[in-house]
Amino acid sequence: MSYALIVSEVRRGQFDERNLDSIGFANLAGKAAYLLVPQGDYAIDKGSVDLIIDTGLTESAFLNPLVMVDAITKVIDTAGMPDLIVFTHSSSGVELATYTAGRKALPIITDVSGYDKNEAIFYKSYYSDKVFGQFRKAKEGPVIVTVRSGSFREFVSDRGKAADTKALEGISGSVEGREFIEYVEEAKTGVDITKAEFLLSLGRGIGNKDEIPVYEELAGILKATISGSRPVIDKQWLPKERQVGTSGKTVKPKVYLAMGISGAFQHIAGMKDSDCIIAVNKDPDAPIFQYAHYGIIGDANKVRDKLKDILKG
Amino acid sequence: MNIVVFAKRVAATQEEELRITGDGKAVDLSKIPFKMNDWDNYAVEEAVKIVEAKGGTVTAITIGNQDSDEILRRAIAMGAKDGFLMETVEVSDDPAVRVEAISNLLNKENIPFDAVFTGVQAEDDQFAATGGILAGKLGIPYASMVIGIDAVEEGHFIVRRELEGGLQERIKVKIPCVLSIQSGINEPRYVSIMGIRKASKVERKTFKFNDYRAGQEAMIELVRWSYPEKKGGAKILTGEMDGICRELLGILKEKGVYQ
Repeated sequence: MSYALIVSEVRRGQFDERNLDSIGFANLAGKAAYLLVPQGDYAIDKGSVDLIIDTGLTESAFLNPLVMVDAITKVIDTAGMPDLIVFTHSSSGVELATYTAGRKALPIITDVSGYDKNEAIFYKSYYSDKVFGQFRKAKEGPVIVTVRSGSFREFVSDRGKAADTKALEGISGSVEGREFIEYVEEAKTGVDITKAEFLLSLGRGIGNKDEIPVYEELAGILKATISGSRPVIDKQWLPKERQVGTSGKTVKPKVYLAMGISGAFQHIAGMKDSDCIIAVNKDPDAPIFQYAHYGIIGDANKVRDKLKDILKG
Repeated sequence: MNIVVFAKRVAATQEEELRITGDGKAVDLSKIPFKMNDWDNYAVEEAVKIVEAKGGTVTAITIGNQDSDEILRRAIAMGAKDGFLMETVEVSDDPAVRVEAISNLLNKENIPFDAVFTGVQAEDDQFAATGGILAGKLGIPYASMVIGIDAVEEGHFIVRRELEGGLQERIKVKIPCVLSIQSGINEPRYVSIMGIRKASKVERKTFKFNDYRAGQEAMIELVRWSYPEKKGGAKILTGEMDGICRELLGILKEKGVYQ
């Protein structure tokens, strides 16, 4: 039987929501969903998949690419070659997927956010979602994918019965090449952008670090809290605790005013549930305008200066 | 410690409008400036920093046409000793093809390395696959999203990987290995025009990409391009700047965040 092997992501005892996109993708592609899991006491909807394969591995061993490739090899030895191997498009999902592709010499397409079943076409983002490449396999055989969070969970369906669990025996969780040591939490400081009702969020479109104090002045008048997108944090224009996005904070303020942010999907994931999103960007095709309620096409710094003039006047 | 870094020349499309041409067959990049991939800039800096502290050399490798030589000059100006261009007119859309050639180059030319650094992903194709596929193919340890190298010790690195929501994990990775470097790990040094000019006097070697491809065919193909699906989108405020900004303040009042 043709099946999709879904490599789940369980982090600190939580079955990640992103796994629903992997399961939904397998359904959309019309494949039986075999879910590969670590040991642990987390909640899974057993009616949403066709088989659960328990590796018996600890969570950190399971997420070690050097271990995972052995687990996948063992699944293939017992259940045959899958049509798809599906991972989450996340820090660990991509790491596991690409390493597996190299070891098994299998094709890989990452960050898949759409699928056309009739043509077997995978949609993959290029240039921060400005355009998409439509890929297909060049020859028959399995393909590895990582799927974008939020893209396929609507295709999860209930089978009407709980899936059986099969144990996968004999995988060693310890390897010489790579060892987990510990989790490291980001240092906690005074500012918590997740508590703010009004965020003035800055992106690389503001140009350079010297513009920050001018935005702080505006934020002071508007009583807004300053946050930022990844490039601004990477360049150390703003501290890490101010970062909105998958690697930073997820925020849901009443108003999210994004200035000079183009809207990479990792950023969108962190702010799309805000009550009201207002975006200011020079590029009318910036992806953020697809998610915003209101948009201004223009230079962020000019809009800022005009706002300041009006407010001070 | 010898470190090989892969760096890519990419179109800087952040502020640019992209047009699909030829009935979905191409994306027009003819008017767009090119630069070193942002993530690779951090990777080169990290490699150079380590070598400055521990000794050894950094070798920069890029794939592309002759224009990609600018990436090698930049890497050398930052502190790399050697720059190798794998020359090809057309770069494959399949990262597996690129990795095949890279790994064959490392082997056939006996390029010594303790670690290979790549950027986490390229700004153009966002594949985030080169490092992982290469490590898998070479059968050596791999870590991606490396946001901190805490220690370079005998036989291994202690690194921090960035996960989601501000969480990181600290792991030990045995040498030789491949590390994919996350942006923000360091502050890449400034490269002056003088520095580039000096770097251009250092000899860079060119290898023919197809000589190292070993007949590897693409396993996936990009059949056409398309624009993202429109989601309804924003109500665009139009008119004079003054009117637009007053309308914006009106929205803030209506939403109750500004009086």
